[in-house]
Amino acid sequence: MWRYTLKRMLVAVPMLLGISLLTFVLMRVTPGNYLDTIRMDPQFSKETIRHYEQLYQLDKPLAQQYIRWIYNLLHFELGYSFHYNVPVHKIIGERVWNTFVLSLSAFLFTWCIAIPLGIGAALNRNRPVDRAVQFFSYIALSFPGFFLAMIFLFWASQTGILPLGGMHSPDYDRLGMGGKIVDLLKHLVIPTRALSVGSIAALQRLMRGNMLEVLGQRYILTARAKGLPEGRVVYHHALRNAVNPLITLLGYEFSSLLSGAALIEIICSWPGLGSLMLTAVRSKDVYLVMASMLMGSILFMVGNLLADIALAKVDPRIRYD
Amino acid sequence: MVLATTSDPRSFNDILAKETSTSLVTDLIFEGLTTTNASTTKVEPNLAKSWDISEDGLTWTFHLREDARWNDGQPFTADDVVFTFNGLIYNPDIPSSARDIFTVDGKTFQVEKMDDYTVRFTLPVKFAPFLRGMSQAILPQHKLQKAVREGRFNFTWGIDADPAEIVGTGPFKLVRYDPGQRLVFERNPYYWKKSFDGDPLPYLERIIYLIVPGVDVGLLKFMEGTLDGYTLRGMDYPLVKPLEAKNNFTVYDLGPDTGSQFLFFNQNSGRNPQTGQPFVAPYKLAWFTDLEFRKAVAHAVDKEKIIEIVDNKLGYPQHSAMGPAAGFFYNPHVAEYDYDLNKARAILAAAGFSDRNGDGFIEDPRGNTVEFSLYTNAGTTERVDIAAIIREDLERLGMKVHFQALEFNTLVSKLTSRFDWEAVILGLTGGIEPHFGKNVWMSSGQLHMWYPMQEKPATAWEKRVDEIFDQGVQELDENKRKELYDEYQLIVSRELPLIYTVLGARLYAVRNKFGNLKPTNYGGVFHNPEELYMKEGYR
Repeated sequence: MWRYTLKRMLVAVPMLLGISLLTFVLMRVTPGNYLDTIRMDPQFSKETIRHYEQLYQLDKPLAQQYIRWIYNLLHFELGYSFHYNVPVHKIIGERVWNTFVLSLSAFLFTWCIAIPLGIGAALNRNRPVDRAVQFFSYIALSFPGFFLAMIFLFWASQTGILPLGGMHSPDYDRLGMGGKIVDLLKHLVIPTRALSVGSIAALQRLMRGNMLEVLGQRYILTARAKGLPEGRVVYHHALRNAVNPLITLLGYEFSSLLSGAALIEIICSWPGLGSLMLTAVRSKDVYLVMASMLMGSILFMVGNLLADIALAKVDPRIRYD
Repeated sequence: MVLATTSDPRSFNDILAKETSTSLVTDLIFEGLTTTNASTTKVEPNLAKSWDISEDGLTWTFHLREDARWNDGQPFTADDVVFTFNGLIYNPDIPSSARDIFTVDGKTFQVEKMDDYTVRFTLPVKFAPFLRGMSQAILPQHKLQKAVREGRFNFTWGIDADPAEIVGTGPFKLVRYDPGQRLVFERNPYYWKKSFDGDPLPYLERIIYLIVPGVDVGLLKFMEGTLDGYTLRGMDYPLVKPLEAKNNFTVYDLGPDTGSQFLFFNQNSGRNPQTGQPFVAPYKLAWFTDLEFRKAVAHAVDKEKIIEIVDNKLGYPQHSAMGPAAGFFYNPHVAEYDYDLNKARAILAAAGFSDRNGDGFIEDPRGNTVEFSLYTNAGTTERVDIAAIIREDLERLGMKVHFQALEFNTLVSKLTSRFDWEAVILGLTGGIEPHFGKNVWMSSGQLHMWYPMQEKPATAWEKRVDEIFDQGVQELDENKRKELYDEYQLIVSRELPLIYTVLGARLYAVRNKFGNLKPTNYGGVFHNPEELYMKEGYR
């Protein structure tokens, strides 16, 4: 197991290098650079713009810029953001955390709702309960998350029960510890819902399908035949096998949530990585984009690795050595 | 008071960063020697209580306030002023747009301390915008000198700085910054300004700026009551206005905005140094440099329709290079081009443009179909809409227009370095000081977009505009200055290098809980944060 983990981590290194190189090249071959915004400002002279070029080292050859960035990366430095004029890690640290909080919340919410819902639907197959769940799942699946976010925000503005976007209230810094937690939870409700509705619908259908498949197996018949109580048949024998394929999904779901939250973050003014990256890409803040890409990729890879390891732990048939 | 901004500040360092999201913060914290009165747009004393000018107009002596203090309690003195200029703005290691403003013909100003509360500026030549330019924020020597000496200034007072380190003389101080979320300001207890009755200012305890990237979410937040004020777009007006009484707020329409939107053609006769090809095909260049052609296009710009569609009927047609918001220097008596397609057709026909082969498109005298590409930047729906309206009318005149919305950076590199474009719709923000438009109007400027960075003026009228800007900057008599800038506005309205469209309206919605609110066109609704107070019952 350890050897496998180590191998996966080693494979990740050239992959990350490739991603960073691709990002860098894409950012630099597309026309324009960070200083274009300043160029269109009547109050900046040519000399000042040249001065900035030197400061940001935009006057050096491309290869040299990239190698320098890699060199700094090996010293755990992610470079400077042009736009904010501070080291990149000072900006993205908090943003990564905020995105993580939102993703974790959406992830927990999705799984806590979808799994029981799927089981329930499977056990009540073709009864009105099941029909209703499937009907609403279809509807939920066909709504894009960002649209739901807007509907929720509009609803919140009409009722005034929930805060309208953002992560904290304006007076957050004056609240006590308990108040801060409640405040954060209240702000989490809308983006979490918007992110989860689609995944709940999808995951619930998967769970239902798996469960039905397992319930049709001979060993379930055997279990029932030998007179085990129904609860034990379902939760001990069937569930364990039905959930296995979903474990693979777990890591993937989580990592895709991290990257997929961007739109919802922007709509809900959630101060996460996604909204930061969008502005960075648009203003051509190269090193900030590269660092955010790198963070996103690492989170993605770690998510997948964890899923694979978890699968090996749960399913004795899987061995990686 | 809770307000909103769409993006994070870039820095808290007023010398290094100058865009809106930053100046929103720095304007509350820092002050200059002078300030611009928001209602009269005249220059007024601020950190300097008075000043004297020598006979020749070159030596300015400023007498500083003796009661001003930095918000950490240290006294403000002449040393801080000298430091801000000699130590920061004129420091060759610090990139700053302020240096461009305070450099005339490549020469800097001499700044000397006479005594603790007197500073003398000696200018190399007369410089009319000097007094207004003295609104440049003064920064504290005692906080920054060490960083400058150690070469760290370019990375000082970044967004990662401890708010307590950011020390200014202004009415408020920064106490907290949560990236992507909010900025919290508290009143500066050492602020020098007193109210009419002698009460210490400011009245407000706290100002909070929420960072809300989505404009629509911001509007919802205002309607719901989280925000106390919000900048409206024309399209929001019919939605928001009817709710004034019910939701207890007021919508202020403060007249035309300063930002202009215009169409212009590439008149660059240069060649690409690498390929030797002309930037613009010579036969097209002949149209674009033909004043009659540009006049016809100007008559095809339906300003009324743009105002109706883009600004929801809340806009103003723009005729002059300096809009009405420029106040004193605005010249309303310039050439105007009414929307009249028949007139446009007649002008084109007289200039030799007509549909000779009957294909529905007009040809120039040599038989080339009038066909060009029109760019604007994607992301501003306003400009894309304007482009669509203008294009429709140009096609009615028989021109073939290929419209494309480009990414902002792509468009900028076309305009400033590659020069391979034909027609563009773009906007610039304006101000009240005409000289600060010199990069646009002088033929050597890099924002002289229709033909930038000319070695010598390509046309007689461009030569005259160059002269006007050279004279205007040295003319200290306000009225004579106005005459000069009136002439430049008249010239460019006749020569049409930029074909202006419309100006949006400055609209704000403010909750009815503040006293001393004095909205003006120049300053907006919150230009006097130190005087605002919460009315009884809202505290």
